[in-house]
Amino acid sequence: MKILVCVKQVPDMESRFKPDGSGTWFEEADLAFRMNEYDEYAVEQAVQLKEQLGNEPEVTVLSIGPDRVNEAIKKALAMGCDRGAHIQDPAPQGKDPWQIASIITQFAQGEGFDLIFTGMQSQDRGSAQVGVLVAELLGFACATTLVGFAYADGVITAKRELEGGIKGIAKLRLPAVVTCQLGLNIPRYPTLPNIMKAKKKEILAIPVADLLKEEAVASTARFYPPARKGGGIVLEGDVGNLVEQLYGILKEKTTVLR
Amino acid sequence: MNFELSQDHRVLQDAVRDFVEKEIKPIAAQIDEEHQIPDTLVRKMGEMGFMGSYLPEQYGGAGLDMLSYAIVVEEVSKACGSSGVLISAHTSLCCGPIYTFGTEEQKKKWLPALNSGDIIGCFLLTEPDAGSDAGAIATTYRREGDEFVLNGSKIFITNGGYRGTGVVFATSDKSLKHKGVSAFIIDLRSHGVEILKNEKKLGIRGSYTTAFALDNVRIPAENLLGQEGQGFKIAMDTLNGGRIGIASQALGIAEGAFERALAYSKERKQFGAPICDLQAIQFKLADMWAKIEISKLMTYKAAWLKDNKKNYTMESAMCKMLASEAATFVSHQAIQIHGGYGFICDYEVERMYRDAKITEIYEGTNEVQRVVISKLLLS
Repeated sequence: MKILVCVKQVPDMESRFKPDGSGTWFEEADLAFRMNEYDEYAVEQAVQLKEQLGNEPEVTVLSIGPDRVNEAIKKALAMGCDRGAHIQDPAPQGKDPWQIASIITQFAQGEGFDLIFTGMQSQDRGSAQVGVLVAELLGFACATTLVGFAYADGVITAKRELEGGIKGIAKLRLPAVVTCQLGLNIPRYPTLPNIMKAKKKEILAIPVADLLKEEAVASTARFYPPARKGGGIVLEGDVGNLVEQLYGILKEKTTVLR
Repeated sequence: MNFELSQDHRVLQDAVRDFVEKEIKPIAAQIDEEHQIPDTLVRKMGEMGFMGSYLPEQYGGAGLDMLSYAIVVEEVSKACGSSGVLISAHTSLCCGPIYTFGTEEQKKKWLPALNSGDIIGCFLLTEPDAGSDAGAIATTYRREGDEFVLNGSKIFITNGGYRGTGVVFATSDKSLKHKGVSAFIIDLRSHGVEILKNEKKLGIRGSYTTAFALDNVRIPAENLLGQEGQGFKIAMDTLNGGRIGIASQALGIAEGAFERALAYSKERKQFGAPICDLQAIQFKLADMWAKIEISKLMTYKAAWLKDNKKNYTMESAMCKMLASEAATFVSHQAIQIHGGYGFICDYEVERMYRDAKITEIYEGTNEVQRVVISKLLLS
């Protein structure tokens, strides 16, 4: 079996974001980057499946971006992936999900993957489109927002998280794409010996121009912080009075007491 | 010239931070209160490879470099100084000399269990009457057939309470001073090894600081480390490398205290504004950060020199001195920025202040570091 895991490197979500000069993305200069959280679940699930199948599957981890994304690839290699593919792109943020998906598809078509794992969305752009688009372009089965995964005899049993806390079970025959959600697993720590071993693993370097065949179908018009909301309401008075005021606000302005 | 960490080092730093955030930070206060690092944490740190980071893979180490080791100790110590010194004393002071001075048989026998963290290592040099003056040790050894027999006492032994493996120093004849000293690998569960007590301390309370009596302890002759009479050199060489570990621990404590002080200064409001708007607080933060950065530069440089097989004696003395003094200064100022809350245990900076002080004392007091630095300048 050949498995692909697609990971994205995103800024630390506790960073302070400022629009960049173009006004369509954020200033990246002083930000710390790490692997997209949902992609960590994807890596972990791929490695667990590899272990389940006696280490037979080869797991490739792919990331698109500038040189720094090698850090995310190396982390995935230290977690147990076998080889990396760095699609070299100095400005991936300028590409829409359609282009990103088509780049991944171009790479995957030459490799013959049976199963592709990715996060359900990225923490920065949050479009949640890349996984499903790759499935569509490759003609693979697809299930999104996985919170449970089992594999036996060429069939995936996927537990999906639906709206309102409802869960659904989907069965997929390979080849397939699955996108991973919080709760699917607890990603392992890359141990020091495995970080050392990862240094010896192969990382392919492919210029994005070799794989990009599509024009963008969507573009970001503007990137801006939301307008500041007015300050909160400070209630005053004794406790009984405070309760009455709070009760009134909750009743009139919210649905919690209806 | 390049002052940036490599991608590989950043991957490692990120992995260690993640582990520390989830596994150590939540229990750091508990470790201090209970005077013990839970066995489960010791085991997990072993599984992560923290206990033999720079030892070669063939002996069960992770095969990384000294800079990686410094980063591990630093990151762990940001949350817990006790856990930082557990790793530092174990790796630098026990795994280190066995690897550097041991025979192939000794390395194969002792290092795998140490590097996995299954057995915790320590370094038995200090005695009641021999601290900075290490050549004055009074623990004796004599040869009897295929064994050496040791008698004496050892104090202030970091990690001693685990009764694991130690590198112990003893003299054949005290009148020979440092020329009479030899080093041995000792199993601390051997007959005649008695723990007199685990000390109660100001800080690093989760770390064992143990007093031992050695009463006719029989050590197989094959456990002699290096040559007879080479012990003092082994001790000095070991402490030289160990200082990078303690500098990293001190650096981590300083950074941990700074992070909390910075965050608090933004949250705490007085006179209608966050206290970080006050120049009195801003200047404190600037002084704290400058001391942290200079300590980090020197610590990483010492590690880099060791990795590149260059002489690092001066830099290891300087980084230990600078970082430990940064740790006491920064943690002290962190309490001041917290005001009354800083004096209360819930805010953690008081623990960091207590943990910081020892870094000016052990692995060579800072007075000894100044002796080392000035001797090299004047030689």
